[in-house]
Amino acid sequence: MELLHKIDFKDLKAPLFIAWQINSECNLGCLHCCEEAGHSMPDEMNKEEIFNVLEQIVDLKIPYVALSGGEPLLHPNFFEICEFLKDKTSIKVETNGEFIDERIAKKIANLKFRSVQISLDGATPFTHERLRLGGNWEKAVMACKLLIKEGVNTEIVFVPTKFNIQEIGQLIDMAYSLGVYGVYTGKIMRIGRAAQNWRMLCPSEQEYENFFAILNEKIKQYDGKMKIYYYPYDVIEELKYRLEYPAASLLIIPNGKVKLIGPLPFICGDLKKQKLIDVWENYKIGWQNPKVREFAKKVIEQPKLLAESNKWVEL
Amino acid sequence: MELKKFVKIREEKFGAVIFDTLREKVFVTNETGKDILNLLKDGKQIEEIIDILKEKYEKNGDEIRIDVNKFISQLKENGIIT
Repeated sequence: MELLHKIDFKDLKAPLFIAWQINSECNLGCLHCCEEAGHSMPDEMNKEEIFNVLEQIVDLKIPYVALSGGEPLLHPNFFEICEFLKDKTSIKVETNGEFIDERIAKKIANLKFRSVQISLDGATPFTHERLRLGGNWEKAVMACKLLIKEGVNTEIVFVPTKFNIQEIGQLIDMAYSLGVYGVYTGKIMRIGRAAQNWRMLCPSEQEYENFFAILNEKIKQYDGKMKIYYYPYDVIEELKYRLEYPAASLLIIPNGKVKLIGPLPFICGDLKKQKLIDVWENYKIGWQNPKVREFAKKVIEQPKLLAESNKWVEL
Repeated sequence: MELKKFVKIREEKFGAVIFDTLREKVFVTNETGKDILNLLKDGKQIEEIIDILKEKYEKNGDEIRIDVNKFISQLKENGIIT
C-alpha cells in the first residue's frame, strides 16, 4: 500500500473542490475582474435552490468549497450558507474585505473557515484603488488585521498588472508584518473585464521576469515563516494543461450553471434543474466533447477569444 | 496520532482520496490505506491497527506491521497526520 499523488479525475465519484460564485453583486468595479461582476444576475439561485446544492455537497462529501462572487459578503444568505457547511467541509472565502468590521470578523472566526482570502492589489492605497475602482485599501488592510486578531487564517491575493506589478516585494513584506498566513499570486488571467482591458493591464515580459525574480527572493526570505504561492502559468498554459488533465473541480456561477473551466464559455450543467452528481458526470464527458476541444485549441491560437469566456454555450 | 486540521478523507471505489485542503495537496491510497486512515480517525494506536488488519486480511503479522509502519511514516512525511 502506498500514498500516491497521481489521480485521474475520472476515477472520483464526485468533485474534490467546488468554486462557487454565489452572487454577481459587487460594490467595486475592478478593471481586471474575471467575472465582470457588478450587478446581480436576474436569474441567480434563490435560497431554496442554494440549500439544495449545499445538501448535495455535504452528501457527496466534497471536501473543499471556495465561496466567491461578486462580493460574497453582500449575499443575503452568506452566513447561513457558511453555517450550514461549517465542520462538514473546508471553506475558503474570497472577498474584497470591505465589509469586514470587528463584529463580522468575530462571526467569521466562529465559522472556522480554512481561510479568508482578501484581494489586495497594491502596497499603497493609490495603486490598489487605481485598479479596484471604488475600492478602499485601508478597509482591505483593516479586514486583514481584524481577521488575524480573531485567529482566522488570512491570505492575501495579488493580481499583477502594469499598475501594481512593481509593488509585489513591498506587499509581501507588508503581509508578513500583518501576520497573514500566505500570499497568493500568479499571472493576470485574460478573462472577463481583464480581457477587455488587456492592453492597459497586461505586464510586459520584462516586468514579469522582475516580478518572478522578486517572488523567488521573497520565498527564500520568508521560508517557514509565511506561505508565498505563485502559479507560474498564464491562462493559455493552464488551458493546454487542463485539456490533458482536467481538474477534479466544478465552477458554479450565480445562476446555478456550471462552467467547464473559467477561460472557456462552455456550461456542463444547471444545478437548478440537475443533480450535482449528474453535472459531475457531464463535466467528465464535457472535456471529451469535440466542440470543447476544437474551441479550446482555437483559443490557444488566438487568445483574444478569451474575451468570449462569459458568453455561455450550453453543451 | 491524528489527522491534521483541514485534512479531509473521502472513500472511493479504489480506496480513499486524502485532501489536505490547507496546503491544497491531494493524495490517493488503496483499500488497506483507507482502513488505516479510518482507524487513525477513530483514535486507534499502531498496535491496535495492526491487530485489526491482521484479522481482517488474514495476513502474517510481520507483513502487516511493515506495511502499517511504512504507510504511517508516509502520512507523517507528507504532513497528513501529526
